[in-house]
Formats: sequence, structure tokens, C-alpha cells
Amino acid sequence: MTADALLFWFLALVTIISALGVVVLANPVFSALSLVMTMVTIAALFATLKAFFLAGVQLIVYAGAVMVLFVMVLMLFDLHKEKKAFTEGAFSGGLKLLLGGMLAGLMVGAVSMSTDLFKSVPESAITNNVTGIESTKVLGNLLITQYIFGFEILGVLLLVIAVGAVALARSKGGTHGA
Amino acid sequence: MAHESFLEPSLIHYLILSAIIFSLGMLGVLLRKNTIVILMCIELMLNAVNLTFVAFSKYSGNINGQIMVFFVMTIAAAEAAVGLAIAVSIFKRFKEINIRFFENLKG
Amino acid sequence: MGTDALEIAINCIKLVLIFLMMVQAVPILVWVERRGSAFIQNRLGPNRVGPLGLLQLLADAVKFLTKEEFVPGKGIPLLYYLAPVVALIPGAVAFCAIPLSTPLAIEAFELFGQKWGPYTILFQGYEIGVGIVFVLGISSLATYSILMAGWGSGNKYSLLGALRASAQIISYELALGLSIVGVLLLNGSFNFTEIIRAQEGPLMFQFLGHTISTSLVPNWGIFYQPIGALIFFTACFAESNRLPFDLAEGEAELVAGFHVEYGGFKMLLFFIGEYGHMMVGSAMFIALFLGGYNIPWITPQMVQEHFVGHGFGPSGVSVMTALTFFVSFMIKLALLLWIFIWVRWTLPRFRYDQLMDLGWKTMLPWALANTIITAIVLQIAHS
Repeated sequence: MTADALLFWFLALVTIISALGVVVLANPVFSALSLVMTMVTIAALFATLKAFFLAGVQLIVYAGAVMVLFVMVLMLFDLHKEKKAFTEGAFSGGLKLLLGGMLAGLMVGAVSMSTDLFKSVPESAITNNVTGIESTKVLGNLLITQYIFGFEILGVLLLVIAVGAVALARSKGGTHGA
Repeated sequence: MAHESFLEPSLIHYLILSAIIFSLGMLGVLLRKNTIVILMCIELMLNAVNLTFVAFSKYSGNINGQIMVFFVMTIAAAEAAVGLAIAVSIFKRFKEINIRFFENLKG
Repeated sequence: MGTDALEIAINCIKLVLIFLMMVQAVPILVWVERRGSAFIQNRLGPNRVGPLGLLQLLADAVKFLTKEEFVPGKGIPLLYYLAPVVALIPGAVAFCAIPLSTPLAIEAFELFGQKWGPYTILFQGYEIGVGIVFVLGISSLATYSILMAGWGSGNKYSLLGALRASAQIISYELALGLSIVGVLLLNGSFNFTEIIRAQEGPLMFQFLGHTISTSLVPNWGIFYQPIGALIFFTACFAESNRLPFDLAEGEAELVAGFHVEYGGFKMLLFFIGEYGHMMVGSAMFIALFLGGYNIPWITPQMVQEHFVGHGFGPSGVSVMTALTFFVSFMIKLALLLWIFIWVRWTLPRFRYDQLMDLGWKTMLPWALANTIITAIVLQIAHS
């Protein structure tokens, strides 16, 4: 087993355990910290897939800003009354587990039974034969030329989000529990 | 299975990993009571989708997958911010973020 | 990591050495801080223990290590113990990604009857293609140690201090990242080694087809990006919670903010984390704006020729060049760390709303303006 394979299996194991931690842990702060761990390992998986710039952006944006926001909001709420973490009802809970398992089984089965992924990729579609800094330049180029509309709309979206979040947060009341 | 060895990572491995994380996220959304944990499980699902995009991008040599990840990441961050703002407003009004209290549309 | 066992061993030892270097710099820094601050404040500072008070830190370390280990009653033990460790890791990981000197090129040699091939040993922990993005991403993970410390202490005032400190850090990360964009535009690369290599020798750049060169100033980034350098340096102060931005700690007023419930060895780990953050910020500033390990006006070729003239073999020339540039890097690092300490004991503290105003309303627009002006000037210069 090469070092690459060992790295992949280790990262996959840690990712699945952290994702289980998000879903299973009762204390929401622990759940948020498990999600941070998941995002860090997914950034590492991006790096093994040679998408280094995306790995860095995942660390900066997701693990470094979005999750800090989640953890800060959770710490501001005084959640004393969380006795049980999961929804009530054993039957409906069991049904949900069953359906989730069926979805997972369907997806895994479909993926593993497909034997001819990418036998027929045309040569013209191969644009990613560069790695490292060159891929960042290609990404930047594509964003400004081919995806310029989406890029500008993202800017407008972020502006609307910022204004909306401030407007929502200005209502009266405190964040302490009753 | 049409790959060389079970141990060497290939596209199928990344897709299966991503499918497992996606299902875990979906189970989290269905099973948890806390609104903010539901939002976090949505983020988990989006991360699994990002992993799928990047895996496909590498194994098919097409860099447009990474552009998609860019957009998904930005929109997910924006949506997390708005979701949290709504959760904070709900908490201020009702002093409760257990999702059972918001099953009815009224009030 | 390496092709054969010797190279892998050397790389592993190098990683451990760089980590230890960062940790061992802390006692020296604390000594400089205590004596330096004392002289700034017209008093003497600790000068009893050992010559010039140099063993004071040893005594302090022994005191820290023998203190009682406790967890606050209402705290969460897992988070309480994990927070100092998480404070230490991002600084160490980020410091290993910054090159400290020129690479060593060792020729093939014979030892113990076996041929060891030609090696190129980089003078950094590991080389990352997207170095700048990696260091920025890893530094942003340091916020979690503050949040975990604040929450795990079970103390309302710790929590408030932690929330304010983390809000400050994520606000200044924006200015930090944006101020570097000008440097990225100039050099077209995220790699620290390439950026440092572009800052060799005297000032020289292309403008509208002419090569303008002057030997009054070295070719450092700070002369190309003065506003960016200033914003980056100020944001480094905010990132490591140093005065004038240390509202969260507030040593004279709030006792210690988010680490008020910490004592003994865990407090020492927080200190190492804070000084580690200072060192990473200084090392990044040196690499991007102060020419990295380069000596002003002297290119590595000149140094290599100098040593060849002294009669060293090719491996010896490489080793001596690397040592020379390492000394140069250390001098710059020491100077910057002294500036950190000097500013701490000179400037008063910002109020929290002044701090947030500065970050969002002043530094962010200036960094954006810097980016736009750099882009326009580059477009004109290369048209």
C-alpha cells in the first residue's frame, strides 16, 4: 500500500468519524467542533486530489470563518434545556434511519456498479492537466471570462446577504435563555 | 468492480466516501431537534457534494468542477450566515430553538 | 519526503528542529520582553536570577510545571484541556511552511562504504506550492483555541472575552488577506520561495519597456507595496492579540480575558501559542515584504562566488551560503519581534468599537484601494 493510499484511508476514516460526531453528539458545541474537524479533513482530501487552491480556500472560508460563526452563535445561546438531542418517536426515528440507509445503499451501489465511468470523455474537454499554481491561474481566468455572469451575481448575492443579516439581527430582545 | 486494487484510491473510493457523508448529513437533518445542528448538517451535505465535484474534476481532467466548488462554497457560506441570523431571531422571539415548536406555520 | 532513508531521516529531524526552534524562542522572547519593557518604563526588570536575569525564565518554567493541575468546577474538561494544544498547533504548522534560507545542495558522497546520492535539502519544514493560502488558512484555525478556552472555562467573563477576541481575529483576517493581494499580483505566484527569489539584489523593475534600476534601495516588497506592508503589519498585531489590540486579554484591566481560568503548564502553552503566532506573522512579513532571507543589495550568486573564492567544495559553498542567509533571516526576525515588543509598551490600547471600526472601515477599504491601484499600475507598466 503506497503512502497515497494510506493517507486516503486515514483521512476517509477521520472524516467519517467526525461526520458521525456531528450527527450523534448531544452537545451542539461538540457537534460544531466535529464539523470543523470534518472540514479540515475534507480540505486535506482536496489536497490529495491536487486541488490545492480549493483546499486553502476551504480552510480559510469554511473552517476559518463560517464555522467560527456557528460556534460563536451556539456559545451565545444558553441551551440548558437540551435533554434529548434526537426527535421523539421510536417508530419515526427508525423509519428515518431505514430510509437514510437505503439512500446510502442506493448511491454506493450505483457508483460501484458503474463500470464505464469516463471511457468516453472527448479530448476537447480535458482542461485540467495542470496542477498547483497553474490551476489557480486557469481557475481565475475561467472565472473572469467564461463564468463572469455567475461571478458578478455572487457579488450581488453576498451584498444582499450582508444587508439582510444585519437587518434580521437588529430586532429587539436578548439571546439569554428564559 | 472494475478497478485494479481495492486499496488504491480511485474515483469510486472518493464517490463512496462522499455518498456516506451525504447520507450522514441527511440523517442529521431528519433526526436532530436543534435548528442550528440541522443547519450544520446541511453544511455537511454541501461539503460532500464539493468532494464529489473535485473528485470528478480530477479524474476527468475537466477543471470546471473546481469552478462549481467555488460557487457552491460561496453560496453555502452566505446561506449559513442567513440561516444563523434567522435562528438568532427565532431564539430572541421564542426563547426556544427546538424544531418541534415550529411545526405549524402560524405564529 | 525523500528518496532514501537518509533523506527521510534528515527531513524528519528538520521538522522537529524547526518546531523546537519556535518553542525555544519563547523563553528568549519573554526575557527580552521583560527586560526591554522594564527599560522602556525606566526600571530594571528581573536581573537577579543568573547573569542579566537570563535564568529567570528557567525559574518561571519550573514554577509553571510544578503548579497544581485543576479544571474549573463548571467547566468542560475536554475543551479545557484541548484548547492550549490547539493554540500551539497552527503556529507550528504555519512556521514550517516559510523558507528560512537558501536550499542546501549536497553533492554525492561516500560514507560507510555506501554511496549517498546528491540531495537538495530545503531550509524549511516542507514546501507548499500554494504557500500563502496555506499559511493564511492554518492561522485562521487558531480562533478555535480561544473559543474552546472561553467556553470550556465555564465562566461568563471568559466566554465574553473569547467571543470578542474571536470576532476581532476574523475581522482582521480580511485585511490580512487583502493586503497580500498586491504582492500576489506583482509576483504572480503563491509560492514563498519564488516571491523571495524575486526580491534579490537592488531595486529593478520594468516600466513601459524600460528597465528602471537604482542601487539606493534593495529590491524588497516593502518598496513596491508600502500601504500593503503597513496594513499587513498592523493586522498581524490584531491576529496575535498583542497591544494595541489586546482588548480580549486586557492584562491590566480584565486580568486575562479568555485564559483567566488557566494556570500552570496550560498557561505556558497559551504563551507559546501567542508568541508562535507573532513569529509566524513576522516570518510572513519578512518573506513577503522584507526580502525573506536576502541580504540587501547582495544576491545569492555573489555570496556563492565569494565562498568559492575561499576554496570550499560545492557542498561546502552551499552550506556556508545557507548559513549566511539564515543569519540574515534571524537578524530580521529579531528586529521585527523587538518592534512587536516595543509597540506593546508604547501605545495605549484600543477600545473595542474603535478596533472594529479600524478593521472594517479603514483597513479594508485601504487594502482594496491598494489592490486596485496595484492592478492599474501593473497594467500600465506592462502594456
